[in-house]
Amino acid sequence: MELFRYSRSIYGGSDQLIGASWDLLPWFVGAAVLFIVVHAVLSALAKRRARRSA
Amino acid sequence: MDQITPNRWTARAPGFDRVRRHTLLDRAYHWLMALAVLVLMATAFLPILGIKFAWLDIHWITGVALAALVLIHIVRALFFQDWRNMWIGLADLRELWRDAAGLVGSRQRPALPGKYDAAQKLYHLGVAVVILAVVGSGLLMLLKIDTPFWRRNPYWFSADTWGVIYVIHGFAAMAIVAIVIVHLYFALMPDSWYLLRAMVRGWISGKEYAQHHDPARWKA
Repeated sequence: MELFRYSRSIYGGSDQLIGASWDLLPWFVGAAVLFIVVHAVLSALAKRRARRSA
Repeated sequence: MDQITPNRWTARAPGFDRVRRHTLLDRAYHWLMALAVLVLMATAFLPILGIKFAWLDIHWITGVALAALVLIHIVRALFFQDWRNMWIGLADLRELWRDAAGLVGSRQRPALPGKYDAAQKLYHLGVAVVILAVVGSGLLMLLKIDTPFWRRNPYWFSADTWGVIYVIHGFAAMAIVAIVIVHLYFALMPDSWYLLRAMVRGWISGKEYAQHHDPARWKA
């Protein structure tokens, strides 16, 4: 998986940095979904504990 | 308590015990910013995902509108509102710790927050950093396109510097996608529907104020 996008110079030489890699987009979406799932599970468990101790 | 004059929106509340949480201007800012961000996300990522259309004009014009909105918000927050409502202090860090501990089993009673809780303040800080990064880099990228107002001049920066500007814009844009998803989750959680209503109508009830906020930290 690439972090950045590069273009190859037609005159040779080193590759030119041109931006972030769009392949990372699913990882950002995945991180958000993972956060939501973890938060939802922990919140549900915390509510269950609170109900039991009430 | 700042009561709201009854009108056709508030008249159903018994006793009108409503606390103003967001003024009309703040709500307009929020929803206009939301609209701008959604348009910017669509015009940025749909072409990348293979849905081709003439996205550039919509993207840069909406980006300039977002920059203007952010500027208005900064001026209002600094000079016309109490910016301390959003400041993260020691009490907020303690609150954040208690909230996190509560999620994983601690029986410590969470402290009531002021107008915004610690997680909301932290979220706002994250949004501020990312939006400033995407707007700042986006404004510089305007130098690379012709518009009715200026001619392009891509030679302001070296190719390497342009690469860094595009990297910042790209990472900030992808972070915004994650931030929007998390924002929708919290906004639609049943526990926070009263906050969603406040962002639409401007008020929370006196009961919600007493239940969710420390009057010493938010003098409504």
